[in-house]
Amino acid sequence: MTLARDTAMKNPTNSLKRRFSLKFLKTLVRIRKSRPPPSPSASSSWEIRWRAQKIKLAAYSSMALSVGSKRTWSRALTMKLRATMGNRRWSSWKGSKKMTKRRIVAKKNMEKRHLEKDMNSGLQQLRQLVPGGESMDPRSLLEETAHFVRCLETQVRVMRSIVEGFPC
Amino acid sequence: MSSGGGRRTSSTGSTIQQPRSASRISDDQIIDLVSKLRDVLPEIRNHSSDRVSASKVLQETCSHIKRLHREVDDLSERLSQLLSTIDANSAEAAIIRSLIRQ
Repeated sequence: MTLARDTAMKNPTNSLKRRFSLKFLKTLVRIRKSRPPPSPSASSSWEIRWRAQKIKLAAYSSMALSVGSKRTWSRALTMKLRATMGNRRWSSWKGSKKMTKRRIVAKKNMEKRHLEKDMNSGLQQLRQLVPGGESMDPRSLLEETAHFVRCLETQVRVMRSIVEGFPC
Repeated sequence: MSSGGGRRTSSTGSTIQQPRSASRISDDQIIDLVSKLRDVLPEIRNHSSDRVSASKVLQETCSHIKRLHREVDDLSERLSQLLSTIDANSAEAAIIRSLIRQ
């Protein structure tokens, strides 16, 4: 890998922050206008919770879409969110246990490499937390993790500045 | 560092020489990548200790990711409350103001 490519792929940029902000805010406007499905047990706190779930989904999908297809984690996350929104359910970050042939090969390669024993459990945890992490080799996993974390931080920062920007 | 395959050093997980292959990745490379990951973590950045182990960095990264998810949860909840308590015009004005500020 060349240094130029490393740098270009490395960190989320200001333009990413702008793309994310725009997408997310547009979705917020749409969410504000939407109404939850009528339910006998509906209360205003339930409606707030329902809207919060939509906002959370919008935040992650806006970020994943803004990053685009150039990162494994953003592709995996976009696919996962599409499936989630289809089911109208928001599950926690559980890694898929399905062992496709590609994942079996990747897992064997990882076991062949001699890593510090206690690093393996850390890597395993990361695989569950980073979208698409189950089938990544250790090098890609670490690179994707660094990018994923920076994008998450950007997402949090933008959301916080929106919250603080509201008139009380 | 001399070349040559199959030479092993101590059992404490220090450098292991393996036959060169395009798909292999050495321990040095892993440690180098992990040190790049350190830059991402605020705790380790602030304490700036050089001797943080690779596995500690991985643990910290996992905690950091979980913490960020919780923050997203909390901020989504607050945003939802804000959207429901202010009237239509104020909401859109606030949102547009945020957009201009980003």
